Amino acid sequence: MYAQSLSWLLLAPFLLSLAAFAMRWAGKRSIWLAELIHLVSITAVLLLSMHVVQGVLAQGSISALNDWLHVDALAAVFVTIVGVVGFLVGVYALGYIRHDLSSGVLQPQQVTLFYGLLNLFLFTMLLVVVSNNIIMMWVAVEATTLGSAFLVGIYGQRASLEAAWKYVIICTVGVAFGLYGTILVYSDAVHFMKEPGMAILWTQIVENAQALDPTILKLAFVFVMIGFGTKAGIFPMHAWLPDAHSEAPSPVSALLSGVLLKCALFVVIRFAIILSRGIGAEFPHLILLIFGALSVTVSTLFMFVQRDLKRLLAYSSVENIGLIVLALGVGGPLGVLAGLMHAVNHSLVKSLMFLTSGNILMKYHTRDLGKIHGMLQAAPLTSLLLLAGGLALAGSPPFNIFISKFSIFSAGMQSGHIWLMLVCLAFLAVAFAALLRVISSSLFGQAPDEMAAGEVQPLTLAPIAVLLVLAITLGLYLPPQIALLLNQAAGIALPPGSVASAPGALLNWLVLP
Amino acid sequence: MLNANLINSLSGLLILSSLLVIETRKLRISAIYYSVQSLVLVVIFLALAVSMHAEQLYLWAASAFITKAILVPYIIYRAQQYTGGEDVPTAIKPTLSIVLAAVSLVVSFVVINQLELKIAAGFKPALAVSVAHFFFGQLCILTQRNLLKQVMGFCLMENGSHLTLALMAYDAPELVEIGIATDAIFGVLIMAVLAVQIYRKLNTLDAASLTTLKG
Amino acid sequence: MSAWILAGILVPFLGGLLVLVIPRWWVKTASQFVALFSAGCSVYVFIAFTAAGKQVQFFDVMRLGNVTLFGLVVDRLSVLIGMAVSVVGFLIVVYSTGYLSAQNREHAEKKIERRYYSFLLLFIGSMAGVVYASTMLGLLVFFELTGVCSWGLIGYYDNEKARRAALKAIITTQVASLGLYAATAYFFAESGSLRLVDMVGLTETAKTVIFIGVLIAGFGKSAQLPFHFWLPDAMVAPTPISAYLHAASMVKVGVYIFARCLSSAGSVPQVIGVVGSVMALLTMLYGFAMYFPQKDFKKLLAYSTITQLAYIFLALSISVFGSQVAFNGGVTHIFNHAFAKSLFFLVAGALSYTTGTRLLPSLRGVIVRMPVIGTSFAVAALAVTGVPPFNCFFSKFSIFAGGFEAAQEHPLLLVLVIIAMVESIGSFAWIFWTFSATGLGTPSEEVAAATPLSPAMEYVLITLAVLTLLSGVFASAWIA
Repeated sequence: MYAQSLSWLLLAPFLLSLAAFAMRWAGKRSIWLAELIHLVSITAVLLLSMHVVQGVLAQGSISALNDWLHVDALAAVFVTIVGVVGFLVGVYALGYIRHDLSSGVLQPQQVTLFYGLLNLFLFTMLLVVVSNNIIMMWVAVEATTLGSAFLVGIYGQRASLEAAWKYVIICTVGVAFGLYGTILVYSDAVHFMKEPGMAILWTQIVENAQALDPTILKLAFVFVMIGFGTKAGIFPMHAWLPDAHSEAPSPVSALLSGVLLKCALFVVIRFAIILSRGIGAEFPHLILLIFGALSVTVSTLFMFVQRDLKRLLAYSSVENIGLIVLALGVGGPLGVLAGLMHAVNHSLVKSLMFLTSGNILMKYHTRDLGKIHGMLQAAPLTSLLLLAGGLALAGSPPFNIFISKFSIFSAGMQSGHIWLMLVCLAFLAVAFAALLRVISSSLFGQAPDEMAAGEVQPLTLAPIAVLLVLAITLGLYLPPQIALLLNQAAGIALPPGSVASAPGALLNWLVLP
Repeated sequence: MLNANLINSLSGLLILSSLLVIETRKLRISAIYYSVQSLVLVVIFLALAVSMHAEQLYLWAASAFITKAILVPYIIYRAQQYTGGEDVPTAIKPTLSIVLAAVSLVVSFVVINQLELKIAAGFKPALAVSVAHFFFGQLCILTQRNLLKQVMGFCLMENGSHLTLALMAYDAPELVEIGIATDAIFGVLIMAVLAVQIYRKLNTLDAASLTTLKG
Repeated sequence: MSAWILAGILVPFLGGLLVLVIPRWWVKTASQFVALFSAGCSVYVFIAFTAAGKQVQFFDVMRLGNVTLFGLVVDRLSVLIGMAVSVVGFLIVVYSTGYLSAQNREHAEKKIERRYYSFLLLFIGSMAGVVYASTMLGLLVFFELTGVCSWGLIGYYDNEKARRAALKAIITTQVASLGLYAATAYFFAESGSLRLVDMVGLTETAKTVIFIGVLIAGFGKSAQLPFHFWLPDAMVAPTPISAYLHAASMVKVGVYIFARCLSSAGSVPQVIGVVGSVMALLTMLYGFAMYFPQKDFKKLLAYSTITQLAYIFLALSISVFGSQVAFNGGVTHIFNHAFAKSLFFLVAGALSYTTGTRLLPSLRGVIVRMPVIGTSFAVAALAVTGVPPFNCFFSKFSIFAGGFEAAQEHPLLLVLVIIAMVESIGSFAWIFWTFSATGLGTPSEEVAAATPLSPAMEYVLITLAVLTLLSGVFASAWIA
């Protein structure tokens, strides 16, 4: 039953995206139909992904199609991200795209294209996280680039086309390195497997990881880190990210930042697990720590000098991905758990922020922070969301990111990287200052004279509010199912035997006197 | 062993053809060179299929013939028709790019020789060429300012990795090969469409004019 | 008892969200009720604690596995300070309802701003959270929350200067809070626990690291050198906010977390005492030197706050050398200074409300024209400078007594204490001179043209003046 859900989880968005493309020729009702198909698709993705996750909780893991698809707790965490964030962003997109359509930025036939591509993009990201076949995983990551390239450039403006071009070129070149890493692992594994078909399955490779050649594994991991790291936006391979994130329509930015980066990171985690089972965790940890710390430090400085709201958010994504990588590099039960938690938390908060930036864009028609003032008067609800989201992103309590960030630094200190943690903390203060400055200058001050007070597209605020509620909830309380899932996921990512001991009894999170 | 020699020397031909692809100024000609190169690749696949008794590689050869020798050059050809075959200067001098190509070739050979590979042991030169080819593709993307030329660079990379794949992972399930080939062809298509869109907007294919976004 | 404490923390939070949605004319009343409730909770806790024989109690609220994330501690420190911050908080809310109105001559408010009351109530809740927290994480969370709320409040007058000052305040305290952040993470990494009482078992080195972190955070929040610069700028805040944040609560967070850690850590490395007292002395001298050029009433008060907080730091640092008297002196000074300095700020607010200016040279003859304000002014000035029988005298006295006690074993401390005493006398002279210049004499033009004070503000001034008179004896007797 669960296996069927898993197959449908892929099939539904794929087929419905084709249907949405086809609506181009549906005449007068094309937009309305495309919207309907889109809504059906994202709802199906949400429900099916929840069902799959439920299955993972019930029976440990789900496989389908000759083990080519495999969802364990680790993958389930990312399936949840795709499902939940995909759905909320999808709902938001309905209002946002209507606004674009009515203001003439998009043409009707572009709208059907948009919904088709958006669901295709969702499909490719789901394919990444449910693939057990490592080469297929690569194919899926490459497909995410191809699926989202036109989404980035859909406005057809000079800047958006440029961003799309850079995105495609840098990511395809980068991800090609990932293919080499994948092939190296495969070709080494194929030797001692009974069947060549087994050497391509991650589950099989992990079980036999100790038979793999250490040199090849290390080389492969470097390739993987460069390749999928490009897609995940890790410094110094992040060059495409600020352009693509800032030029894409806001719902797409939210998906890129909230979901896509995590999916690419998921592949890196998969390979890091192979390495730590095969040759021990030292090497992957070292690599992850270096890239993580570099990403955190450099991106915060870039954040500070940005004058464009969405670019600033994009660099903040580099920072947060860096934090997750740092956590994984720190390792240990707490480190891995904190990293995974941060992945979930950042997905929620960053998509919240990009969607809010979309509302600001609809209201002010600019992303220039020098021109966005007086939101408190001009758009009170949006400004409240910006305030809460910005504080959440800056890691302020009581939001979820505070908890995961704190756990990351505790884990880092526990593992003895005290100075590294202190340096990264200092840079986080820079990020905090940058975000607070944004909030301050946008909320206060004088709104443009001709601007009337009120929200544009008030319905678009609903999905953002849901994200905010989720962010606060996870900051105060970890539901048992999520705790269990994260716990099991951390168990997969850790060397066998070192069960995530610290959060073993996560379930009694809240004990009121 | 004759076959191994054949394959290794055929892969030498790949180097030559990719240098021609990179250095030719006219896109149309460049696309033809690429088509020729892809034919060489197809022959290598066939030879590998014979020497390693790998039936799957026949299929690979067939799909490579359709996609790489015919479809991709056609896409590039159409795209350059849309854009009027504009002549865009390169970022560095041809001599320098040849030197860089040579360097990457040498590095690839050295690295591959260091590796202890259980698979494809007899084809180390070909493997080195495939890796070098991958770097040629990147070199092309970095040094060419013509957007469509950069697309050709992507194709060269793809050829390189495809050869690596054939040497090291020829016994992988077919679906994998289909997936990679699909990605490749869609990749070229999307890049070509984007290049044409950019040409329509900016009236040039020069990557140096893509300077709106910074920092 | 824990339910009342939690209510005292959570109800203001809920109230803070509530005032964003309820009808506008209801905002002021609702805010006062919420603040009154919170104050009532803390007074109840105080009575219950005293009745139960002042037994220290711990309550776990949130746990993760066997790690307590957040809990409550009820001891002399938290009960006393908790009462001060919530009672002053309530008085400030009442005062604000009068101050933020169309009658204000310095900053007339046309409409009731939900934002102000929301942030203020959130602040009261966070402040209660800091005070009763029994874990490092709890301290950190509420420490940061007070920072965020203070940003919203300092920048309340939406102009360029206010925005800058607010950003400066939060970024400075945020940078300093990294000390607490790192200390908390390090503490957790070292001990596997977040409960402050588990600090007892740590090594000297670990304690030193943690205390350095706590001190950095404390210096930031309490505006000590080298982080002092945000406080004078923050005087752009509405005056009730300055009274609360920059006298009673926010700046007290820094000294409070230091006191809390000291009382939990068992033996504390002496190096912490040395660092703390030297920095305190430097700050004291700096703050004193800055009295003289000030023309703006509130700026003068800001520098006075800086030096008074330095006294508390000095007292707490001296307690590291084994003087319980000094510790008690520091803690009661937190309590007493909260009332006295709030009163002082509220007097400044009342003056600008009625006369439209707070520049010292234009104020003269206040006591003749406005007896309530003038008397409060006198009480505040005498209390802050430590004249008996006003409250700060008692706590300052314990601080010096503790200092002399500790100096018997560490003679160098004697020098510090003597310098501090000299400073004390000097600041008495200066502030008293300021008072006689503004309070006495024939009314100046501005003072003569003053409008009447609103009743709410008047009551608050009188209440606070009475509390300022009584709290000293009360606190000293209670804590001993």
